[in-house]
Amino acid sequence: MTGSGQVTTGPLPIGQFAQLVKRTVAHDPLFRNQALKGEVTQWKQYASGHTYFSLRDEDGQMSAVIWKGKCSIDPSIKEGSEVVVIATLDLYVKRGNIQLVVQRIEPVNVLGELEKAKRLLLEKLNQEGELERTRQRIPAVPKHIAIVTGAGSAALSDMHRLIDNRWPGLRRTVIGVLVQGPRAPQEIVRGLAVTRALANAEVAKHRNQPPVDLVILGRGGGSPEDLWAFNLEPVARAILASPVPVVSAVGHESDVLVSDLVADLRASTPSDAIERVVPSRNEIEFLLDEMDERLKVASQRQLIDCRQKITVLHSRLRVAPLAGLNRAKGEMMRIASRIERATRQSLNIQSNILARCEASLAAVHPQRVLERGYSMTQTAEGSVLSSVDGLQTGQDIILHFADGSADAQIIKTQKNEGTT
Amino acid sequence: MSDEKPTYTEAVLRLEAIVSTLERGGMGLDETLKLYEEGAELLKLCKSELAEAEGKLNELQLDEIESELQSEKQ
Repeated sequence: MTGSGQVTTGPLPIGQFAQLVKRTVAHDPLFRNQALKGEVTQWKQYASGHTYFSLRDEDGQMSAVIWKGKCSIDPSIKEGSEVVVIATLDLYVKRGNIQLVVQRIEPVNVLGELEKAKRLLLEKLNQEGELERTRQRIPAVPKHIAIVTGAGSAALSDMHRLIDNRWPGLRRTVIGVLVQGPRAPQEIVRGLAVTRALANAEVAKHRNQPPVDLVILGRGGGSPEDLWAFNLEPVARAILASPVPVVSAVGHESDVLVSDLVADLRASTPSDAIERVVPSRNEIEFLLDEMDERLKVASQRQLIDCRQKITVLHSRLRVAPLAGLNRAKGEMMRIASRIERATRQSLNIQSNILARCEASLAAVHPQRVLERGYSMTQTAEGSVLSSVDGLQTGQDIILHFADGSADAQIIKTQKNEGTT
Repeated sequence: MSDEKPTYTEAVLRLEAIVSTLERGGMGLDETLKLYEEGAELLKLCKSELAEAEGKLNELQLDEIESELQSEKQ
């Protein structure tokens, strides 16, 4: 090794050159304690306690090392994390590698910002009553499902597979959109606008399809940042604007997104969405067949009941007149005997009266009077005479006695005083 | 029931009510026949709804379907 200032005469040994670079780099303030930002890749924590990784962005990347115990490492840092480091450039002479020796490393708190925005949006939607709104009912048999999701995604093929298991050939329209990245929110909003158009009866008629009656908005799992489009207000508003029910089926079980909270139905995953909204055709057909059977059996039994009632009525009807006649006959006989009795009584009374009348009449019979010594006077023509008026001297009269009669002549008449 | 065609759900609910009524029994011939006819009609409707759910699978990119809809509008 030659001292500085010495004129070098031949080629420099590489190790010496590397040492030279190392010293130069170490003296430049630009390369010391620099704050740098990038994405973590090839994150490896060795048993020795050292951590090796690369820091990268779209334009480049550099190796980095965190020596054991030199700084605390946030446990959330992993492959793909956005981080800010304070590092000093160093050359590893033995291998000629340039690397960053990290003194501090912090995850960039993108999520913190996003979480705050999500919370504010939820508060706003809650105040507007959108979180408590009455949800639209999922159709029992959807006639046209629109699926808004990533074209060619694993989530989509899962959904297709499950739909075809449950209801082969169920009508569906897939609208392929970007579901992550900066353009995702806008594409999702546009995709939902398309579903609104397809739900319109006229548009549907024009396209010769039933209107869309159910929308599934789905994507598979991913990092919270990947799913972030589903936490944004324009997407939430587009869901709320849907005239037909929207199912939010984003991410995994544990992810709860704004889209889940405003949708008509929240499914934990795209597959779960299918399980919940696509009925099994076999089951439905079985239920309808069963209903068919019950309808027939119940109606038939009801008809048999009706027939039995008719039979009973019929036989009652047949015996009814006889019963009526018998009753009438009995009634008549009762009445007849009452009449007979009444007549008999009445006759008895009459004959008593007659007997009494007879006695009275007998008492007043003229013969009886004659027998008592009176006599009855008649004109020659037979009229009974009860007054001297009209009698002529010399007129012939007949005197009747009890035992005979005598012809006589009026000699003289004389009227009692005081009589007229 | 309204004059409008009932939805599948409405049809099934009405059908269930009809079947229960018939199963309870005790109605006259006229009513039985009327209910049976209505039930049979509803069943036919439900079955046709099932057939209607079957259809084509459309898979379109956003731009494609947007321009389709746009051109249909004109």
